[in-house]
Amino acid sequence: MAIQFLFLISRQGKTRLAKWYQTISQKEKSKISRELGTLVLSRRAKMCNVVEYRDFKVVYRRYASLFFIVGINSHDNELLALEVIHRFVEQMDKMYGNVCELDIIFGFDKAYHVLDELLLDGYIQESSRKEVLKRVDQQDELENMDEFEHILS
Amino acid sequence: MKGLTQFITDLRNSKDHDEETKKINLEITNIRDKFKTSLNGYQKKKYVCKLIYVYLLGNTEINDFGLKESFDLLRSSVYSEKQLGYLAVSILLNSKRHKPLKDHMNFVVDTLHSDLVRDLQSTNEEFNCLAIQFIASTFSITGTKAFTVYDTDRNADKWLDLIDMTYAAATSPVQQPIVKRKAAITLKVLLEIYPDVILKNSNWIPRLLKLVDDPDIGTAISSIPLLQLVLHLKPQFAISIVPSISQKLYNIIIEGKCPASYYYYNSPAPWLIVKLFQLMEQLFLLTNKDDNQIISISSLDEQTVTYLRQTVARSIQNASQPIKGIPNRNSQSSILFQAVSLAVFLEASTEAINGAMNALLILLNSNETNTRYLSLDALIKLTARSNSTYLSSKDKFDEILPLMLLLLRDRDISVRRKSLDLLYTICTFSNYTTIISKLLDYFPTADFTLKSELAIKIAHLAEKFATDSTWYVTTMLKLLSIGGGSNSNDSNYMGNEVWERIVQIIVNNEDLQKKTAKLIINLVKRSLNRTPQGKAPAPPLSESLIKVAAFVLGEYGDQVIDIEDLNTANQFQLLYEAYFKVSLITRAMILSTFLKFIVNFPDEPFIPDIVDLFEIETQSIDLEIQTRAYEYLKLVTIEPSFKLAQSVIKKNFPIFNTQKESPLMDRLGSVKEIVGRNRSRSVVLAKNINKIDAINEESENPFESESIALSPNWYAGYHRMLHYDAGIFYEDQLIKITYRVIKEAHNITIKFTVINNSYKTVGTQISGFTVLNLESLTKSQDPNYTLHIKSLPEASIYDKTTMEIEVKVRNIVENNESPVLSMTFMCGGSFNHLNLKIPVLLLKTLAPTVLNNTDEFAKRWTQIGDALGIDKGEHKTRIMLAHRYTSSNVSRLLSRVGFAVVFESPEAPDALIRVAGAGIIHTQKSNYGVLISIAGVDQVGRELEITVRCTGGGLAEIVCSTLSEIFSGKL
Repeated sequence: MAIQFLFLISRQGKTRLAKWYQTISQKEKSKISRELGTLVLSRRAKMCNVVEYRDFKVVYRRYASLFFIVGINSHDNELLALEVIHRFVEQMDKMYGNVCELDIIFGFDKAYHVLDELLLDGYIQESSRKEVLKRVDQQDELENMDEFEHILS
Repeated sequence: MKGLTQFITDLRNSKDHDEETKKINLEITNIRDKFKTSLNGYQKKKYVCKLIYVYLLGNTEINDFGLKESFDLLRSSVYSEKQLGYLAVSILLNSKRHKPLKDHMNFVVDTLHSDLVRDLQSTNEEFNCLAIQFIASTFSITGTKAFTVYDTDRNADKWLDLIDMTYAAATSPVQQPIVKRKAAITLKVLLEIYPDVILKNSNWIPRLLKLVDDPDIGTAISSIPLLQLVLHLKPQFAISIVPSISQKLYNIIIEGKCPASYYYYNSPAPWLIVKLFQLMEQLFLLTNKDDNQIISISSLDEQTVTYLRQTVARSIQNASQPIKGIPNRNSQSSILFQAVSLAVFLEASTEAINGAMNALLILLNSNETNTRYLSLDALIKLTARSNSTYLSSKDKFDEILPLMLLLLRDRDISVRRKSLDLLYTICTFSNYTTIISKLLDYFPTADFTLKSELAIKIAHLAEKFATDSTWYVTTMLKLLSIGGGSNSNDSNYMGNEVWERIVQIIVNNEDLQKKTAKLIINLVKRSLNRTPQGKAPAPPLSESLIKVAAFVLGEYGDQVIDIEDLNTANQFQLLYEAYFKVSLITRAMILSTFLKFIVNFPDEPFIPDIVDLFEIETQSIDLEIQTRAYEYLKLVTIEPSFKLAQSVIKKNFPIFNTQKESPLMDRLGSVKEIVGRNRSRSVVLAKNINKIDAINEESENPFESESIALSPNWYAGYHRMLHYDAGIFYEDQLIKITYRVIKEAHNITIKFTVINNSYKTVGTQISGFTVLNLESLTKSQDPNYTLHIKSLPEASIYDKTTMEIEVKVRNIVENNESPVLSMTFMCGGSFNHLNLKIPVLLLKTLAPTVLNNTDEFAKRWTQIGDALGIDKGEHKTRIMLAHRYTSSNVSRLLSRVGFAVVFESPEAPDALIRVAGAGIIHTQKSNYGVLISIAGVDQVGRELEITVRCTGGGLAEIVCSTLSEIFSGKL
């Protein structure tokens, strides 16, 4: 199940985080995110979480003020993609402690980090919540160590 | 980093875009200056971070600096600096891309090769991860025009370096799971670019296949994309991985063996399950170059099939129970849909498929939009792939139709579209009239975006199933009149394909022409609001309808002029009236029709009107209309008898060549794709029949290009199995394999016992024992023998395990056709691979036949000589023996391989050995009598002459050479 792209947009249509697992031009990227932004924002609540767009499927889910949008191949499993989103949110929630939009704006590096531990080249590499957070924590620690050494030197 | 946070807050506080740009420019100048001074690691990090932030805000044009500093960071030995360095380099390098993709990638490899190699070789696993992750994200070519690296490329060795190291990271037994996971996915990325590594060399594959057995669930999940790619490139290895997949699925789904942290809410490892199902489905779809399926149910052993069926059944059952909580329900349903999609390949019974469909039909009533959508999707796939007619059967169809119509009006367009697809899929000869009429009713209320799809599907169904021509024309014209779009908003729901197709069909079917002409005149009348009584307002004028009308009336209008109301004058009036209400392109068509009128009916009173119209339109601002009008005007005015114009208009419209696929097919979209993926078995078989002759010519073997390297010491076991029916087949420090051969006419069963030798010595367990391949070296079409693995060994061996192989000898087997058994296993972290040859020889089917005395033997001996001639029926060979034989030795050996000894010379010193025997060789096609006579050449019994006579031509030679191999122990 290869995920083609994942991005977060706010209700106002601002992109908060974007990750592309496809090699396409910047122009194309902004076109897709613009089009999908309007498409997804215009949909009402209680509608299906899957929309067909071009030749792939778009799976999205809204959490508070943020829309998580994922593009997958047309023959991929949609519900599972939906749960990939959920797992991602869970992990961020655990890490930031009750995540909100501002956490992602200011701590964008961490959000990317969690995402990178969850997905690699669009494929899920680790489905366990603990494992991912353990990795992120480990690396935070490494970073703190570096800073500590830096201060000492 | 405080500076960074400050910068971000500052930017966010900007009142407008200009202020933001101003702040960014200020900061950029600052960073530029700072970079000129010498900075410590922390400062470098801070400024590179700011640069990246600016870049991420969309200011991608600022990329002319910072790369050097990023490289400094990347080469640092401090983790956080290195991490940021990789991030910055990947962002900044990517933005510099103005070259073709391949050049860009090569540039990146050249620039970073040494850095990546250093980090991959590092003993610090975090550094490994960073390098691996960088490779995965930079060299991913999904969704682009892929490029390929070849051995001949300038920097192929650098690519190979990276691939080698990634492979090592993925398969090394000492590597951390986290590195393995990332390496597995990354290896897939690299192999996509450089597939020759796998195509030209299979050595890696067995080890890669083991990844799915990894006890770490994360590693197993990550390995699946890689395996999908590898098995796609080398499908012949697919079958060996199936037992591992089914075992893994069984462990998780049926036995519930899953580490607690991999439970997603209440469901164990849903991602892994879905991926394994997907992989399995993909394996069933693999074909070899003759387009035959590589894996079918019959080629798998019973346990594997049972496990797969059980897991699918359990998954369907799990999801049909009430489940609490959305995440739970979603993950269960996602497994359900994947299981349903796999079920078709497991040769599920009709009842099972119907059962699954009923379960899905229940879900259609769900309140959740997602469930409705996906159930529809699953029903489409299931129906299309299993060729099931369950939903189209009369009762069921009547039952579900109201529901389907309801779903066509669902509040979500995704659901509406899917239900249209389902209706399209279940359409058959028995229900097409109902479906099409319902769809036509639905058309006016359908969404704008759905209309064009709807029109194409209706048109295609009508064409596919229509048996009654009047029905077809009526339906299609109705479709055109309601869906043809109108000039007022210049919107057209229908592609040109639809009306063009109708015209093609009318031209090609003479009996339709008159009917169509009649019908279309009435329809156009109605559209122009000339309905006699004040009925419901007609739909707006349809462009497509007028286009067809313009064509049909021009060509076939003359066929209906004898009917009142439909005469040419009326026809002209209609088109003339429509003329000013339609688009320019349609007007151009009507002009051509008018020219045809002039030629066909030169005396009609309305002709001057047409000429006037031509004259007016020569002033048209549209180039096409102006050109036509001018040309037509000249054609009809230069010469009063219209001769010139007549020569332009052909009397009969030429018939279309419809051999080509209907243009509608191109527009069918996703439904066609699903149907295309369905491969019914009967089709596959039918294909084989045609191909047998062609293929027999050059006995093709998919493996021929690569000869298999047999494991050292294979020969001892092979030779033992040649003449003993039980014994040791293979032994080394880790493993011992014993065998027993059970012969029953042409069926041979070989029972192997695999014994874990290391358990006794060092107490280690053998794990992941897999039969990689049992490779038959006989021709693939009409093979001389068939192999079937009846039971597979257990994957984990504490003490011992057994496996059973059944061989069926169908025809005369040559001596060089014996199969090779490839096995792989892990023992104490080491990976082992055995390739052992099993003797499948004609002689193995030999059974003794009792001849009463030597006279009878002599009689038969002469009979064969007379019937077949000496050169065909007899073969003689002399062999030198390694040690002395006596006549009783020889006679024992002969009875061991299956001869009945007829004569044995008494044992006496210096007497020449003479032994004779008889037996029957069994094959499925026929049985053959074999007579043998062995005579000593010297007194010491070191040289023998073997003479074999056989009732089958050429057989004697085969038997003779097998025997000499048994005697001499050499090939």
